[in-house]
Amino acid sequence: MLRRAVLQTFRQGLAQSFFKRYAVSLTETTVTHQPIETSDEAGERTVPTQKTGDESGNTVVVAPPEFRFIYPEFLPDPAMERRNRLREKLERMDMLQRRSVIEIPEFYTGSIMAVTVADANSPNKFARFVGICIQRGGSGLRAWFILRNVVDKQGVEILYEMYCPLIQKIEVLRLERRLDESLLYLRDALPEYSTFPMDMEPERRLNNSVVPINPLKVKLRPRPWLERWERQNLQGVEDLNLPQRFYDRAEKVAKPWEKYDLMLHYRKTIPAEEQEKIFAEVHSQLQQQELKRKLRRRRGSDNEY
Amino acid sequence: MNQADLSKLVSALRIAVKPKPKLLSCPEGPAGRLKKLRATVTALVKYERIELNYPRAEEAQGYAERLISDAIRNGDCHKHTMEMADYWLNEKQLVHKLFKVLVPRYQNYNSSFTRLVLGPKTYPGYYAGTAILELKGNPFPALQPETHNYHFWLHNVLLEEAKKEFRSAREERNAGTTESVTAES
Repeated sequence: MLRRAVLQTFRQGLAQSFFKRYAVSLTETTVTHQPIETSDEAGERTVPTQKTGDESGNTVVVAPPEFRFIYPEFLPDPAMERRNRLREKLERMDMLQRRSVIEIPEFYTGSIMAVTVADANSPNKFARFVGICIQRGGSGLRAWFILRNVVDKQGVEILYEMYCPLIQKIEVLRLERRLDESLLYLRDALPEYSTFPMDMEPERRLNNSVVPINPLKVKLRPRPWLERWERQNLQGVEDLNLPQRFYDRAEKVAKPWEKYDLMLHYRKTIPAEEQEKIFAEVHSQLQQQELKRKLRRRRGSDNEY
Repeated sequence: MNQADLSKLVSALRIAVKPKPKLLSCPEGPAGRLKKLRATVTALVKYERIELNYPRAEEAQGYAERLISDAIRNGDCHKHTMEMADYWLNEKQLVHKLFKVLVPRYQNYNSSFTRLVLGPKTYPGYYAGTAILELKGNPFPALQPETHNYHFWLHNVLLEEAKKEFRSAREERNAGTTESVTAES
């Protein structure tokens, strides 16, 4: 019997409890909750959308709560000074238009991806890069993600803008999450944690409805580092083994009251009612695109035989 | 350009939230700011109407609304909400009041849960003055008179009609004089 590293599956509760997702520690994730539905499963379910009635009795289509994790770039920048409802609406229209042309799959920080970009200067006119997604950010059409790989003993990071028209193909070779939302510490980690073969094949998922969390703890190289990792409460790093003075200074510099600053959290996020409105707008088109792609894939596999 | 934080779901607040927080000066620095606001929020939940200076009242209003909206959205079995309630309310019997009294009171509200009314400025000058911060639905008499639509009250209807009559009579008189002027010329 082969011994494999145990991949902890990420379970999600019902609509009321989906925010437990980040509050719950690793040991608690083994308690049974209902699994989350990802885009693959959503089309196959009998009732993919949640239809709630409004006052007039008409059904109001509401997107599933997981949409905010799968399509986080549809939510606008929470900074109040930069909000512009009209611009956001136009951006969403453009994003859907782009998504109808190219498939932008569901991915998270820690997923291994391959991106093909049109490049006039390369012999094949296309440049393909495989790497692990260490960070993603931006909102609207400026959404980006950074892929990292070690090529010929040289660490390489490339920032891709998801909606750039030069991008020909985005494939997710391994869909998984890590213990942290940002894997910038891989820059200071041993190179084997960032090395992935350029000819890596897409891996088949064991369980389509649940995105696994990889509980890998990475070993860092000896200091000096690019950032003070001991101050960042990283889950995915092995014990840093620093002298006590580092931890003392981290404690002095820490801002423990920020955990309780309710208005700080409010200004950093979009309220739930607005999120629902945004995803209700876009979700029917996104679902249609998913279905079309699935049919095309099935028809493609049928034509092979 | 930042992505919105997805870890917590918050309800939309129905008060005007300014883009930057007001930094309240205190000897302990940023840690002391939350300590001061904690005392204010505790007092608001305890007494339901407090009089204080405007800058602190404005900040505390936001935190009080957030606390109540979280309590309504998540209920008392939610760990994070309980931690927030435990931090923000210095007296622990007020945590019971929050979940057992305030949440049922504000369950179906479509407006904000607090009201911020400008109070008297006790000394002349260019400063914000005092403010009265209260929870809506409190048992005290109202601070401001209720605004009703008095448009259809009898004396107002009669006054409006009288005004219309006066204006039309004046226009007729003016028209009469200008006609006589044009006729003469």
